[in-house]
Amino acid sequence: MSHTKKHFILNLIFSREVSKLRFNVVTIFIPLGTLYPDFYPSIIAMNGTSASAAVTPQPLLITPAEVASEFSHHHPSVARINNGGLGCCPSSLLFSQRQIQMQWLRQPDEFFFNQIQPGMLRSRNFIKDLINADHVDEVSIVDNASTAVSIVLQHMAWGFAEGRFHPGDATVMFHCAYGSVKKSVEAYFVRAGGSVIEVPLPFPLNSEDEIVQEFRQALEKAKQSNRRVRLAIFDHVTCMPSVVIPVKELVTICREAGVDHIFIDGAHGIGCVDVDMKQIGADFYTSNLHKWMFCPPSAAFLYCRRSSESSSLHHLVVTHEYGNGLARESTWIGTRDYSAQLVVPEVLEFVNRFEGGIDGIKRRNHDGVVEMGMMLAKAWGTHLGCPPHMCSSMVMVGLPACLGVLSDEHTWKLRTYLRDKFGVEVSIYYRPPKDGEVGPLTGYTRISYQVYNKVEDYYKFRDAINQLVHDAFTCASLPNS
Amino acid sequence: MQHEDPRNGESVHRGSKKSKLSSKFITESDIRDEFSHHHPSVARINNGSFGSCPGSVLTAQRHLQMQFLRQPDAFYFNTLRDGITASRKIIKDLINADHVDEVSLVDNATTAAAIVLQRIGRSFAEGKFQKNDTVLMLHCAFQAVKKSIQAYVTRAGGSVIEVRLPFPVNSEEEIISEFKKSIEEGKSNGRKIRLAIIDHITSMPSVVIPVKELVRICREEGIEQVFVDAAHAIGSVKVDVKEVGADFYVSNLHKWFFCPPSVAFLYCKKSASSSDLHHPVVSHEYGNGLPIESAWIGTRDYSSQLVVPAVLEFVNRFEGGIDGIMKRNHDEVVKMGKMLAESWGTNLGSPPEMSPAMIMVGLPSRMCLNSEEDAVTLRSHLRDHYDVEVPIFHQVSKDGEEGVRDKDGFITGYVRISHQVYNTLEDYEKLRDAINQLVEDGKTCKMLYKE
Repeated sequence: MSHTKKHFILNLIFSREVSKLRFNVVTIFIPLGTLYPDFYPSIIAMNGTSASAAVTPQPLLITPAEVASEFSHHHPSVARINNGGLGCCPSSLLFSQRQIQMQWLRQPDEFFFNQIQPGMLRSRNFIKDLINADHVDEVSIVDNASTAVSIVLQHMAWGFAEGRFHPGDATVMFHCAYGSVKKSVEAYFVRAGGSVIEVPLPFPLNSEDEIVQEFRQALEKAKQSNRRVRLAIFDHVTCMPSVVIPVKELVTICREAGVDHIFIDGAHGIGCVDVDMKQIGADFYTSNLHKWMFCPPSAAFLYCRRSSESSSLHHLVVTHEYGNGLARESTWIGTRDYSAQLVVPEVLEFVNRFEGGIDGIKRRNHDGVVEMGMMLAKAWGTHLGCPPHMCSSMVMVGLPACLGVLSDEHTWKLRTYLRDKFGVEVSIYYRPPKDGEVGPLTGYTRISYQVYNKVEDYYKFRDAINQLVHDAFTCASLPNS
Repeated sequence: MQHEDPRNGESVHRGSKKSKLSSKFITESDIRDEFSHHHPSVARINNGSFGSCPGSVLTAQRHLQMQFLRQPDAFYFNTLRDGITASRKIIKDLINADHVDEVSLVDNATTAAAIVLQRIGRSFAEGKFQKNDTVLMLHCAFQAVKKSIQAYVTRAGGSVIEVRLPFPVNSEEEIISEFKKSIEEGKSNGRKIRLAIIDHITSMPSVVIPVKELVRICREEGIEQVFVDAAHAIGSVKVDVKEVGADFYVSNLHKWFFCPPSVAFLYCKKSASSSDLHHPVVSHEYGNGLPIESAWIGTRDYSSQLVVPAVLEFVNRFEGGIDGIMKRNHDEVVKMGKMLAESWGTNLGSPPEMSPAMIMVGLPSRMCLNSEEDAVTLRSHLRDHYDVEVPIFHQVSKDGEEGVRDKDGFITGYVRISHQVYNTLEDYEKLRDAINQLVEDGKTCKMLYKE
């Protein structure tokens, strides 16, 4: 802190001219004796804090320059508006991760015998608190949501193989479930004799009710066809198209309908929407920590509510830990680099440098992405895919119809074109027209907002699309890859 | 300290000979640099457990990690798949597989075991196999493999035959004859043996198994499929999958082939049922064949699978490449083993030709190593008090069999020493002296519990 600054603050305090400060600082009464250099920076940083909080020294909040530095390893000229895809990780966390990697390489046996288990337990306890789980035994750490899904679905397959489930017993899932989830259902549930009831997700949509209605209908369909629903599996935040699902309500409906197991694929959940296990009430919940929670690739958790059968879930890769409970089994699945999973608690230090911690980040990401989404929709003459309150840190924005996004293949081609020609990284979605619809938008983009994004990223995208429109570009004109 | 430098494959007379011939090869000080991240004061004679990775390969790996973090989407679409295919091609050539489609990259041998055994489990569940159809394994199979059999085979209704191999062992014939006997026993009651799991190099106690011969016997005896768990093999012994002739063959690349943790290859001989082998973690690639499925099992760090070309570059800096490294490791570990056995008055667990880069050396009977717990305690004690990292094996003597003796009693404990390019004579002398000290102080394993 410069001498001038300190001098300035001292003068203000003595003269009680606090109102002259352009920051919204409440009058603070500070005994002279408590004044010390470290305190001054926090006064500048505080906005609207109470008197009692003012007296306690608060950590310095991260500055925009520091944020830029934390993500300086990102490609400098790419408008990276797809955080929902593969996430991001700040350099301070990468640094911590590297230290763990080096510890292992330095003396792996010692690390295996003395460090891994306590480290994994620390990570699991951290996650347990973050998600408001009852007990750390309910928290297993796995690579990613796909692994978690396979674990739960293999458990279901055993249900069929061991006669607890009967051929034809059903699973209910959204038609737009993530690709790996659909395949996992095919590989484990259907192959073992189960059937699938798909719930169409209306899109674009205007309210949660539309989703709830479709879901109810699907459960009714199961009832009509005398099929027992063994598993309901649905997203917390769908991937494509991306909307926030009213999970609490769906859980209630499932319980009322007597669904055996409720599994929420919250891949995007943590760091993006509120994730509270007790409030949500599902049997299983998984979320990636490397998407919106700043962990390096890759770390995820699988929450399994304690029940009579939670002890019979197993990791797919079996080691000497087999039978010690899924949480313990997941801590060792053979020689591998576990550093991404061991570094998880350090995320707290990073997110707490932001105002409001992770909640502040979530809120600002949401506000930012909605603002940018509306800016784009206005510039392109389109609309958002759902109301703002159903958006997380991602939002669907309609693309101008003249671009002619008419198939899934077009979405890949357009995405590649935007990456290669315009330096824009963003996901594109094809929304097939429904029977009887007149002139619906068939192309949408999913933009993300994370702490490293700047308004220029979205301007770049806006201008790229406007350029394509101006040039009478159509997806059909793109060559086959 | 004057000692033989094993690295250049020639006996040392310090000076002219070495400098003339070895200038184009990696030098002793280069090697020290490459492994300078290892704990400097630990005698690290357990390469067999967790392997090792040189600094230049770690740098290459880091570069790949940063590439991903820089622009992950572009990396996923443009770099990842091709990079894994390039690694698979290198491995296909290394192991003499027919086609790159036969080579999948997975995390480790443990994962490969789950892949193969999950399919066996499914075959029971789907009625292709009958109750009590059998899986055959070695008694000393790696614990993860045993548990995998329990999780996927026993649970699904299958039964297990264990083949107890002799140890200490004097010749391959002993193993072959024991194996034949167990198959006979197993086939009695008309049980069908659906899968035999055979180690190429057993873990504990560690010996090289004559796999080619055992696979041939399996075929003769009508065993349907053979899975060779060669976790230790690549970089340690010659690996020729066509010669071995198994249906499945897995080896870790991070143990003896200098890859970072972790990566292994699973070779699956092309057959009518190859398309029904799946990675247990299902992604959108499901159904595209195991190699493609394994190349994407969700968002993760795949850098250890992509870095294989850099590893090849590293091993080729050594005279004779990986073959030269293997030979020198073998020669040295046998030499060190003999040195220890002589100093302790004990034995080697197997003859030199059955010990690749690892060898079992008997511990003095006076240590009274009488349980698995004793072995763990001694190992920790050596780590904590002597800075020596070496795994210890408790030899349970078979009923009615006379064990091997030293001058004081039966030898019930063995160390498994490894030799890799970073090891020096001092490492083994440290172990030698530590054990001699314990014996001199009259310490038995039980007494170490209190310390």
